[in-house]
Amino acid sequence: MSRRVAIIGYGCLKIGKYGSEVSENELSIRAIKLALEDAGISKEDVNGLVTTPNYLLTLGLQLSVVSEYLRISPRVAAEIACGGIAGGLALKHAMNEIALGHADIVVCYGSVKESIRFKNIALVEPGMGIEIYDPTTQPYAVAGVIWAYACSGRRYMYEYGATEEHFAAACVRNRNNARHNPWAAFTTPITIEDVLKSPILCSPLKLLDCSAARDGAAAVVLASEKKARKITDTPIYIVGVGEHHDNSSFIPTDRCDKPITSFVAAREAAQRALKMAKVSVDDIDVAELYAPFSPQELMLPEDIGWFKKGEMVKAIMDGSTEIGGKIPINTDGGLLSRGHPAMVTPIYETISIVRQLRGESGKVQVDGAEIGLIHCEGGMLNNCIVFIFRRGD
Amino acid sequence: MIKLSSQPEIIYLQPKNHEPTLKFWEGLKNRKLLAPRCGDCGEIFFPPRGFCPKCLSENIEWVELSGKGKLHSWTEIHYLTPKPYILGVIDLAEGIGRMISRIEAEHKELKIDMPMKVDFIDVSDKLTLFIWRPDKVDSKHQKSESF
Repeated sequence: MSRRVAIIGYGCLKIGKYGSEVSENELSIRAIKLALEDAGISKEDVNGLVTTPNYLLTLGLQLSVVSEYLRISPRVAAEIACGGIAGGLALKHAMNEIALGHADIVVCYGSVKESIRFKNIALVEPGMGIEIYDPTTQPYAVAGVIWAYACSGRRYMYEYGATEEHFAAACVRNRNNARHNPWAAFTTPITIEDVLKSPILCSPLKLLDCSAARDGAAAVVLASEKKARKITDTPIYIVGVGEHHDNSSFIPTDRCDKPITSFVAAREAAQRALKMAKVSVDDIDVAELYAPFSPQELMLPEDIGWFKKGEMVKAIMDGSTEIGGKIPINTDGGLLSRGHPAMVTPIYETISIVRQLRGESGKVQVDGAEIGLIHCEGGMLNNCIVFIFRRGD
Repeated sequence: MIKLSSQPEIIYLQPKNHEPTLKFWEGLKNRKLLAPRCGDCGEIFFPPRGFCPKCLSENIEWVELSGKGKLHSWTEIHYLTPKPYILGVIDLAEGIGRMISRIEAEHKELKIDMPMKVDFIDVSDKLTLFIWRPDKVDSKHQKSESF
């Protein structure tokens, strides 16, 4: 990378339901304004805008509307899509444009109203979006994407002795953390019993094992190191990024030997990010992992490397992934409790880590956090991107 | 969307029957589970596609599979359906790939990695689908299946 890049500001809205009285673009402006205020810069300082699809237009022209609204003419702009990692790719593009010298200050933002489109849980309208599956799968793909994650979860139970209680423990950990997140959609305390007794959607997954599609908007401001040093005393540098796209879509069907309890894309993306950052996985102080359903909360920390396969069955129960443990994970509630506006979730994850590294996380602050990691995924972990952030001086 | 008159509680979606996969659907009508074989490199693959995923040849032949496999995993779907039904992932006995399929069984019967066999159901005059059920008879010979 020719120039180092830092995150110098963030802004986001509480995740929830915003209804039809406010547009996605209006939500974007709210988040961008908050981010600019946090960075202490004016909109005229911004020379790049990068965003993710908001379902209004498939042409990417929401950027023009937002530019006109802000009365800024960016040198670089892009709307980037790739399933659930869109927000991660948008962040990477913003970083690259600064690293290459094409822009100095870029706002990476997203806003989406998923609650109207998807009602409760991502992709649940019968037949909606079945084009994502092979035609031989389509006749039975009535139930969105949950079935795939449910099959992954059941196989993990078989291979590693996990139970539904272990999955539920991840939901409870996330909820306990979300209670202290001002932007989380779900903050009412829950118990393992509550999760187990919630309605079955796709066994072994119950309602509370699943993330809920919600509305949200978030923005982060990225700057070159030179600009960042002038603007802020607490730049958070992007020191590593790794990406991997496995040749599979949801359950790998092209071959029989690929596991659905471990994900090559998560492993490869993490390894690349760690290598670029020149740190080991045990140097990470805090992490945000993109697990849309509770079983993957156990698989991902194994794939990224904090635990061996199967070890999370014990670790989810003994506090290893809680604040004060070996690796605090999803300290702002994760997808399960923060709520899941998919096209914005990676930006919310970034904000969570930025706050941790700045020491702004209050009751969920990880003491002395210096290096943080975010992971996001598309498909069923077929596409993964991992970032490593480091507090600057 | 198709609702069977004999099984009104089950919803099937009409698959997109693009030209390269028509043979597969015709095969189901004839009670055969077919897979493409590349006429150039010999690769047998699933799901069916118009180009060989190994060498990108369009010279595609069709072979009949044994209709045997193992249950890689499964889930019982309880929402968007008036009656729960089971969806499973089948490892094809030939080792060429996996199928996502409705499983005709009670969930209490199911064990991961158990032997399974294919069956066929006529959903409409024009569409026959595959389903899989536990293979109780032939479990000992599962591993010896080949072409």
